[in-house]
Amino acid sequence: MSYDIKRSVSLYSYQDEYYDGRLDLEGCLKETAKTGATGVELLAEQMIRRFPLPIETQEFRDQWFGWLKEYGLEPSCYDAFLENRIYDNRTLTLKEQVNMMKRDIRLAALLGFHNLRTLVSTPMDVIEGSLEYAAEQDVKIGLEVHAPFSLNSGWADGYMEMILRTGTKHFGFIPDMGIFCKNIPSVLRDKARNMGAKEECIKIVDDAYAKRLEKGFVKIKYDLDLGKANMEYRMANGMKEMMEAVEQAGGGPADMMYAGSSFTYSWSEPQDIIDNIDYIFHTHAKFYHVGEDYAETAVAIPEVVEAFKKAGYQGYLSSEYEGGEHLRGYMQVDSVEQVRRHQEAMRRAIEGA
Amino acid sequence: MAGRQIYNPNGFHNMEKDGTIIGYEFQFKAQYYRGITLSIVRDIQIEVDGEAAAREDIRVTVNGEAFTLEEMRTVIDPEYRWEFGDYATVSVKKEGGLSKGSHHIKALQIIAPSYMPFQVEAVCETDFVME
Repeated sequence: MSYDIKRSVSLYSYQDEYYDGRLDLEGCLKETAKTGATGVELLAEQMIRRFPLPIETQEFRDQWFGWLKEYGLEPSCYDAFLENRIYDNRTLTLKEQVNMMKRDIRLAALLGFHNLRTLVSTPMDVIEGSLEYAAEQDVKIGLEVHAPFSLNSGWADGYMEMILRTGTKHFGFIPDMGIFCKNIPSVLRDKARNMGAKEECIKIVDDAYAKRLEKGFVKIKYDLDLGKANMEYRMANGMKEMMEAVEQAGGGPADMMYAGSSFTYSWSEPQDIIDNIDYIFHTHAKFYHVGEDYAETAVAIPEVVEAFKKAGYQGYLSSEYEGGEHLRGYMQVDSVEQVRRHQEAMRRAIEGA
Repeated sequence: MAGRQIYNPNGFHNMEKDGTIIGYEFQFKAQYYRGITLSIVRDIQIEVDGEAAAREDIRVTVNGEAFTLEEMRTVIDPEYRWEFGDYATVSVKKEGGLSKGSHHIKALQIIAPSYMPFQVEAVCETDFVME
């Protein structure tokens, strides 16, 4: 099957430079273009001040489209945050949530995006209630499939049922490549060592991860109570036994941090991409650390890209750097270099060079 | 090499009113990755040199407007988002303020992004000198 795999950068990747004031929105677009990517993914709430007011103005939109033209970028995906607990004393009603979703769909369309990322916590009714408007605005709503969630799971089946029942062409999945971790990211291990973790404990955790990988991860169930679903998932994957082993080996806070955090990573079979390709129109190419040799220490980039090729994927792989969160406590993060390397790693996998 | 900067190193001051020192203030950035409405900042707890500030003595200023923690619960206007990468100014009422010399601050930011099954709780600590 013929494929058309394009590269994008999610500006989420540059958050440390933005936080420090070393890059502004235009600076991020400039860096994106330098990597050879042709797409840009935006978190409007991250880099557009006084959100959403500027998006409503022609002046801002002229500037935005001017930048896109200048740097040769196409809008790939708008990342929305359905703040349905914006008040501390209640959850917004279904109608309020649908209105918020429609607002985000409209803002995405105003900035030229045809894909909108919604988070795993988005209730099914809110998505269903927004589909007609999404079709009108020519924006597809993509549910992020982020670890510990996975495609081909009881959790995903619920959404699949809705897609088939409604026949919608405006809803699907946005896999986050963090669901394809062969190892625990090196940066997490570096942080644990920096905090004083014991090699013996690190080994227990790494071995347990390898064992989960070998046996296959037990998948997470559909439950709007994400905390409960997550805890059940962790227990089903042997968290209790592993934590006890770390404790018996004399594990301290650093070891417990490493052990607990290891459950935020998971491995799915790349075949899941092929099985669900009709419902995938954008992808978060999550990554944690790419070395000078252009190898990712956790995410199996070549295998996953191969699956996208086989499936005939037509869409973007959008770099989403998340290694910085483990480093920023003790060193300056260089997202610009990490994204550059990641784009090159993806280019090689896509072009087979 | 040091990690990211949370506090503005030049942001620690005593506050004066009619010739009397009525408290102190500092500036810090939200430890989260996007701008947020103040309504999802569920709490800010402050200890200086081990002494905890009372909740009602705390004010948070963004874009020129000061809010109590109680008021922040309903602040959702775009004008008063705590922008990503921006300092908010926090003031604490305290007779006489802080003495000249070295101090240690430990503040806790509790932020509740709707999609997370748990709250973001960031402990923010630093040493500083009051001039």
